[in-house]
Amino acid sequence: MSQFTQQVILGLLLGGIYVAVALGFSLVWGVLNIVNLAHGALIMVGSYITWTLFVNRVIRAPLLFTFLLTFGINLVIVSLLLLLFTADFRSVTTTYSGAGLHLGSVVIPYIRLGGLLVALVLAGILWLILNRTRIGAGILAVGADRDAAQLVGIDLRHLYALTFAIGAAFAGVAGGIISTFQSITPTAGDPYTLQSFAVVILGGLGRVSATIVGGLAFGLIEVLGQSAPGLGSGYANAIAFVVLVLVLIVRPRGLLGRLA
Amino acid sequence: MGLDMTALLEVTGLTAGFGSTPVLFEVSLDVQPGELMALIGANGAGKSTLLGALSGLVQIFDGDIRFDGRRLVGLRPERIVASGLAHVPQGRRLFGTMSVERNLLLGGYRRHDSGVRQDLQRILRYFPALADKMARDAGTLSGGEQQMVAIGRGLMARPKLLMIDEPSLGLAPKIVDRVMEIVKEINQDGTAVLLVEQDVTLALEIADRGYVLEDGRVAMSGRAQDLRRDPAVRKAYLGV
Ligand SMILES: Nc1ncnc2c1ncn2[C@@H]1O[C@H](COP(=O)(O)OP(=O)(O)O)[C@@H](O)[C@H]1O
Ligand SMILES: [Mg+2]
Repeated sequence: MSQFTQQVILGLLLGGIYVAVALGFSLVWGVLNIVNLAHGALIMVGSYITWTLFVNRVIRAPLLFTFLLTFGINLVIVSLLLLLFTADFRSVTTTYSGAGLHLGSVVIPYIRLGGLLVALVLAGILWLILNRTRIGAGILAVGADRDAAQLVGIDLRHLYALTFAIGAAFAGVAGGIISTFQSITPTAGDPYTLQSFAVVILGGLGRVSATIVGGLAFGLIEVLGQSAPGLGSGYANAIAFVVLVLVLIVRPRGLLGRLA
Repeated sequence: MGLDMTALLEVTGLTAGFGSTPVLFEVSLDVQPGELMALIGANGAGKSTLLGALSGLVQIFDGDIRFDGRRLVGLRPERIVASGLAHVPQGRRLFGTMSVERNLLLGGYRRHDSGVRQDLQRILRYFPALADKMARDAGTLSGGEQQMVAIGRGLMARPKLLMIDEPSLGLAPKIVDRVMEIVKEINQDGTAVLLVEQDVTLALEIADRGYVLEDGRVAMSGRAQDLRRDPAVRKAYLGV
């Protein structure tokens, strides 16, 4: 039983990463109608910046906001990364990396718990932007009906650029989270593009809660699939794939999706 | 013809359409300040295309559009709205998963003045039925209420000219009458209106003047009361 509880917790923690990773991806897909295959690369930009900050020992909270504001510059940076850092492995290791919260026989790694919390805060920030600000209304309007959005006076080009920038910024922060437990290389972000895609298929487009549900569900499926009796880790991808196909058949707009 | 210095909107020789195919051919028309203009014509005549060309959504091949002293050809849609020309599109096109209030506020997207809240109140005076539905998702309202939100959203831009495309589409006759009354009221309060309508009887009843569009060309124009009596109009659009 506690084995199962442990797996569920690990699944949710992994799911938190997927939430963080998929927020920007889902936004850009839903509004710009772009399935951004460079999303993983944007995530790695965030990882490298986190790594650089740790190396320089200047990490502090307000920087999170500078992330949000400044990450609008996109793909060119990825090639810059390759030039600057080469393709060697790097990782951010803190003194608390190995520690965890012990509840009976269940262990919750602090670093992963932190990742989940940051992911939920990120989701909250995105929700606030979309649902409580004028710009957010503009972004949702463009996602829902471009022509109608233009007719109320929304500058499409401006909103597109802004949406992409926000998506990239969120990818960057997700990269920061990832850098705390995974080696960083310029191409290490690639799997996250695919996982973001899966999260969106699972949860649906058009609302933040769909990304949260999709991300957590995908994390759970992956971890529980790996640990299911009689199945090895080799089956995790196959199980995830089967679930995705089932969702596509039974509920094509995803668990909570609003946009088709 | 010549340059009409007093016209609010003056369209001259407008040819416009999609891709490389024109839908409108050398359309000329004008709307005077404060006027209620009806634009009628059969399905597919090009009425919506004309409104689209005026608001910058449809490609213009030739001709000129002057509005309130400015040339609109080549301006982006958001600049056209800001200049005082609002367009309530056919089929309402509300943002269905957003609240009624947010839809209305989006109508004032380009405004930064302090009158936005007051204008929200003004719209509720035209459409009291919306008052207790401000928090509802716009997509959950009835067709008539959605049309009210669509018109309200257009008004939120504080236009000098409000273009409304087929507000009666899909509504019950009683609701249509009510919507038309309010359109007339909005006009009497000082906003010029360009009303596109399939319900030709109703449109010519409330309008000052009218244009008849046929296959992308202006076939007829004149005072609404004259058009109402015109044998050709009666035969083609009034079924008598
Ligand atoms: N987006 C479009 N692309 C190509 N052709 C279009 C488009 N919209 C309308 N048309 C064509 O333009 C013509 C006029 O359509 P429209 O302006 O919608 O007529 P109306 O509003 O008078 O019913 C029709 O032949 C229609 O098929
Ligand atoms: Mg039409």
